[in-house]
Amino acid sequence: MEKVDENKEGIKGMVNPRRYGIERVAYLLMRLSGLGLLAYFVAHIYETSNILRGRVGWEEVISITQTTEGHVILAIVIGMCVFHTANGIRVMLGESGIGVGKPIRPDYPYPSPSQNARHKIAIYSSIILAALAMMYGLAVMFGE
Amino acid sequence: MRESVIMKIHYGTALAAVALVAVHVLFRLTQGFVDSLTYESVIANYRFLPYAGMLEIILILLSIHGFNGLRVILLELKQGRSYEKAVSYGCIAAMIAIIAYGSRTIFMTNMGMV
Repeated sequence: MEKVDENKEGIKGMVNPRRYGIERVAYLLMRLSGLGLLAYFVAHIYETSNILRGRVGWEEVISITQTTEGHVILAIVIGMCVFHTANGIRVMLGESGIGVGKPIRPDYPYPSPSQNARHKIAIYSSIILAALAMMYGLAVMFGE
Repeated sequence: MRESVIMKIHYGTALAAVALVAVHVLFRLTQGFVDSLTYESVIANYRFLPYAGMLEIILILLSIHGFNGLRVILLELKQGRSYEKAVSYGCIAAMIAIIAYGSRTIFMTNMGMV
């Protein structure tokens, strides 16, 4: 029997941000930021559990995070959080039918009304907001 | 449970978590970032019942949202009856474990067992 190409590219296909424009980049960033935030969340739960070890245990774990590297990681987390939130709201609105445009006849070059300027602006705005939040976070952490 | 219901829960937990995490972050900023992380300040936060309650709600919301998000990503990657079951049950187990571990910290600190 002839082998059927099911177009299963696996992780390689999933992390390829090319071919489909900024929407595909947003898709990838959404998943990367989600995984990063989940990792941070689990680490944060472990970090805060050290309060049960008393003052010594708490100050020991806080001294690890209150370093330049710790602050840079936290700034990246802030950026991921803001992008994930802003882009998540865009996705939610899109799935509710808001801002996706009206269906049109599929004529060459087959423009997709759902991938319109409003959504592109929302994606770029999410990236800019994330960058601004990271800068603010760095200013707060290194300012003290 | 239907996937459409799961996604409604996913979006609901996201919106609620955004509001509550904003309050959590504001607590750090209003006290001063470094000062808010001192042992006394953290203990005082945990012993303040409304704040501890909010932390518990954030813990539950983010665990549900986070592990359902992980489930969605893993199911996008590969499909199959046994694989999908393993991923779904694995994510539920991880979610329960994180909620239990985080709740232990909140309850023990709130009740003065530190």
